[in-house]
Amino acid sequence: MFLFVVRRLFFAVLLLLAVSVVTYLLFSALPVDPAALTCGKNCKPDIIAANRIRLGYDKSIVEQYWLFLKGIFVGRDYGMGQAAFSCPAPSFGYSFAQHECVTTLIGRTFPVTAYLSIGAFIMWMIIGVGSGAIAALNKGKWQDRLANAFTAVGVSLPTFYVGLLVLFSVVIWLGILPFPDYVSPLEDPIKFLNAMILPWLTLAILSAASYTRLTRNGMLEAMNEDFVRLGVAKGLSRSVVLRKYVMRAAMVPIVTIAGLDFASLLGGAIITESVFSLPGMGKLAIRSVVESDLPVLVGTTLVSAVFIVLANVIVDIMYGVLDPRVRVK
Amino acid sequence: MSSQKPVLIVENLSVSFATPDGIVHAVNDLSFVLHEGETLGIVGESGSGKSVTAASLMRLNNSVTATSTGRVVVAGVDVLSASEADVRRLRGSEIAMVFQDPMSALNPYYTVGYQIAEAYEVHHPEASKAQVNAKVLEMMTKVGIPNPAQRADEYPHQFSGGMRQRIVIAIALVNDPKILIADEPTTALDVTVQAQILDLMLALQVENGMAILLITHDLGVIAEVARDVLVMYAGRVVEKADVEDLFEIPTHPYSWGLLGAVASLEVSSRGHLRTIEGTPPSLLNLPSGCAFHPRCSFASENGSRCTTETPLLVQKGPKHSFSACHLPVERIVEIGQKVGN
Amino acid sequence: MKMRRIGVAVGFVLVASTLTASCGGGYDNTINILTNGEQIAHLDPQRNYTGDDLAFAGSTIQRSLTTYKFQAGDAGSEITGDLATDTGTSSNGGKVWAFTLKDGLKYEDGSVITCADVAYGVSRSFATDVITDGPSYAMTYLDVKGEYPGPYKATAAQQAAYDKAVTCDGNTITFNLKSTVADFNYTTTLLTFSPVPKAKDTGEKYDMHPISSGPYKIESYEVGKALVLVRNDQWDIATDTERKAYADKIVYHFGLEESAMDERLIADSGQDKTAVTAGILPESLKTVFEGDKALAKRAVNYYDPFVGYTNLNVKNLSCLDVRKAIYLALDREALRKAGGGSYTGDFADGFIKPLMKIDYKKPTQLAGLNEDGSPNVEAAKAAMAAAETKCPEVAAHAKDGLKFYYPDTEIWKKALAIWIDSMGKAGIKIKPEAVGDPAQYWPTVMNPETDYDIVRGGWAPDWANASTVIPELFTTGGGFNLTRNASDPDYKTFETKVNDARNTLDRTAQGVKWQELNQFVVDRLWALPGTFTRMQSMWGSKIENSFQWGPFGAFCYGNLKVQLEKK
Repeated sequence: MFLFVVRRLFFAVLLLLAVSVVTYLLFSALPVDPAALTCGKNCKPDIIAANRIRLGYDKSIVEQYWLFLKGIFVGRDYGMGQAAFSCPAPSFGYSFAQHECVTTLIGRTFPVTAYLSIGAFIMWMIIGVGSGAIAALNKGKWQDRLANAFTAVGVSLPTFYVGLLVLFSVVIWLGILPFPDYVSPLEDPIKFLNAMILPWLTLAILSAASYTRLTRNGMLEAMNEDFVRLGVAKGLSRSVVLRKYVMRAAMVPIVTIAGLDFASLLGGAIITESVFSLPGMGKLAIRSVVESDLPVLVGTTLVSAVFIVLANVIVDIMYGVLDPRVRVK
Repeated sequence: MSSQKPVLIVENLSVSFATPDGIVHAVNDLSFVLHEGETLGIVGESGSGKSVTAASLMRLNNSVTATSTGRVVVAGVDVLSASEADVRRLRGSEIAMVFQDPMSALNPYYTVGYQIAEAYEVHHPEASKAQVNAKVLEMMTKVGIPNPAQRADEYPHQFSGGMRQRIVIAIALVNDPKILIADEPTTALDVTVQAQILDLMLALQVENGMAILLITHDLGVIAEVARDVLVMYAGRVVEKADVEDLFEIPTHPYSWGLLGAVASLEVSSRGHLRTIEGTPPSLLNLPSGCAFHPRCSFASENGSRCTTETPLLVQKGPKHSFSACHLPVERIVEIGQKVGN
Repeated sequence: MKMRRIGVAVGFVLVASTLTASCGGGYDNTINILTNGEQIAHLDPQRNYTGDDLAFAGSTIQRSLTTYKFQAGDAGSEITGDLATDTGTSSNGGKVWAFTLKDGLKYEDGSVITCADVAYGVSRSFATDVITDGPSYAMTYLDVKGEYPGPYKATAAQQAAYDKAVTCDGNTITFNLKSTVADFNYTTTLLTFSPVPKAKDTGEKYDMHPISSGPYKIESYEVGKALVLVRNDQWDIATDTERKAYADKIVYHFGLEESAMDERLIADSGQDKTAVTAGILPESLKTVFEGDKALAKRAVNYYDPFVGYTNLNVKNLSCLDVRKAIYLALDREALRKAGGGSYTGDFADGFIKPLMKIDYKKPTQLAGLNEDGSPNVEAAKAAMAAAETKCPEVAAHAKDGLKFYYPDTEIWKKALAIWIDSMGKAGIKIKPEAVGDPAQYWPTVMNPETDYDIVRGGWAPDWANASTVIPELFTTGGGFNLTRNASDPDYKTFETKVNDARNTLDRTAQGVKWQELNQFVVDRLWALPGTFTRMQSMWGSKIENSFQWGPFGAFCYGNLKVQLEKK
């Protein structure tokens, strides 16, 4: 087990290095000049050239990458004289657009995304698995048809519109909630909940749909398993059979997909964050793309990649825990 | 007829399923009695209603789609109409079941020891941890699992098919049930293992005195184990007889075909009933009259009677042989003796 | 069991949320500025170069030597002393300008604002490697001998040279200019001339927390979230004739979903009653201006300072008749429709907007040009026919195909289609040249190597004087001259007249000269006037003083007032 984890982590680091190299290469291949993007009203060739030096894009891509790698371990210094400043290790660089070290930006935006993801995850698992289970237990009845309709609608609706619909209906038309204004839960938990409840719901409604289907089908499949019939034949109560036999079997694929879904959400829920004005990592990432802010782009990409890689490792381990047949020795 | 007391009484059992294509009449008007310590075989092709019958005895059929009528009395309780709690009390303690495929009958997520223990604990909530453990080891030893203390902590996938079926039997017998339903218990196993499992079941029957309802399509197994046999076709019993009588003088054209299949068993080693022309009828749309008439080479001997009138189960052959066929008794005995010999 | 407990928790959350919502109906003495932007481009005074941001920072946290009056209408384009006691005095024919600072000026930390701080602030604008994006007028105008790289990199000698150009004598700061700048005291409205205490300067990072000299100071600033301004108790209203600082707090909310902002303002509930937003989405305009009367009262459709136009390469198109033909043939109405209709602006009659009261007089329009923006194909054909005889080579070039460089965006693709169609009717061919990366558009066309015939243009003056329009767009020394008009036979005359106007110290007399020069360019069609663009803004029902401040085309943020509930 220990060796397995070490080996997985080693490959994870290699993968992350590859991701950062690819991000750099892709970025340098873009037909966009970041120096021209940020030069404002005085966009003359000499100003652009000076800007390029300031942003560090005058250096070769190899050198830029080397400075980036070095920065992760020893930090980076910028400017000179009174205008000098530094981004301490682990540094992913400095965003000249936002006047902050990338690590600081990620450190500030990540908790927002994490709260969003965790809350939405809990909600969608409850809604998705719950409605899927109800549908499976009432196969063919109205509950099942309702769940099917929910699934069909849920998986086909774009996040953007659902988000706006939820926002407009609850906040603007009905006036039930004030406009979401993100506050850290440590500062004001009630305001925090006010700001998060709608984005949670939006993400939950949309993601729950596929879990409803997954749970329903998984449970129906499991119910036809001989071992479930044996469970009933043993004289076990319905709830025990459902829990230990049906759900347990249906849970394995759900956990796998949930782990990966959750990880990709941690990389930033771009649309939900935009609609609900949550200052999270998704917004940070999308902004870095629009503004060709390479350090932020690389930083957010890497952090997302870390979560995806970690989630894969965790899902693999969970798989072993959940299903003895694939347990690693 | 056995003089021992009945442990299972089935009266006019009919089971139908609602499907999107219509109503499937899986079992029609089935009646039989199983006595203490007795072994009754039910034989038939797949789709003859034998597995549905087995499931009905423990009310394991899907409660939404299946409709059952008639009575199934176990320990004085009508399984079909009793409350869920009452039925649950019977399951595993009075009446237990061994499934066809040991590969899928065990829960892959729990150790076999746990699964045996679970079956015991549900009917012995007062048992201590130590008692339960002792019971698990006892059962594993009984069904012939070597090294039970160690193997109890292993998962089903770590066992061979035969070993798994032994575990299933251990689970079924952990509460000393009075009735054991064995639904094709050896079909999925290697031929060499089949005999071992049958032997084990018979040995345990002797020890516990339980009645066994053996459901199979394999007359060879029936011949080895059962005393009385029900032959089912299209959800109905078409012949009911003593094993020896059945093999000696079968009294239904379908049984004649089945016995032909036994003969071919010696050649093909697998008991597929290919010697009967045609295929079993769709349960959605049963043939009129005698359901067997489209495949019966003697149907024409009765004019239109076989296609219009459903035959009743009546004594046709020697001793206790009952058969549902319109052919005259003399004709049946005549043909039956030919087949039997 | 577990399921049930989680269900209860969720229920609690919902109830708690709803409870807090029901007691959030009121509003405070706080101005809420809503934007979908993630931050203010620059709060560093020497880097701030956007109308809206200058109006915001200049009315709240930063003061410059002079300022526009905080008033609606034409009065808002008049300048007055801000940190300086008056609008400055010039000598040596407008080459030397002196300003005397008021007494009692303090930063938010209580320290005194000195002449040296203003000089230091101005010097920062020279450090273009750190202090990016800001106006470069100080560098252009100040008579600093030799190279001066700004205070961070300057050698002692270089710093001494700067200190000679900008001198301090007690409270009086004197600027020595290279040549006459008649309206230098307009230049000093720019926050380039705002003080920065050297000890507090953090270079690149100063942008996040500049020291306040105004009535508000930064309490917190989080990019993508909010900028919160609170009262600066060190600011003394006795030193300030313009700022009123009615509100206790000003909160700039960033990163809001655009359509939600409009809906919030329309809904006008709770804190949104004291909200303002610059810019209304096209899809909301009808609701706001053509629906509910009460709603239209909370919104304004006004001129921003911007003028959109089209540059012609006068070197290639050296024949006025061809330029006339292009202008007459162009379907300006179709172009405006494609861009969003009349809300986007009015057809421009020249390059100076009526906002610049002193400098504006409607120029006489080209004969045959339709006022409604529709093309006059017959007149265009006639102009081309005239060109065939007068300047056959240029006419041939126009028939052969004129290279039109455009940014490769959806809206410009539509515009190009209209251009091709319009010109085709007059026998002129357009060869579209797309610039893939929109950010590269200006660098591409400003490169002298690029051979174009037609390029787009757009300009907003840096202060309320056409000296930042006509010379910038049409003289060879201007920063944004894309007409390549130096070879035009009338150019020399034009340049002489521009210099004369620049050097005219009397503002009214100067204005007349700009009016004449505007007519001069319109007559010669070095560029084709396009649109006097419009903006639409909205505010909550409890906002007062919501006028649009002419020179910036923005709210006068610092003087926005909350109509408080009567207790």
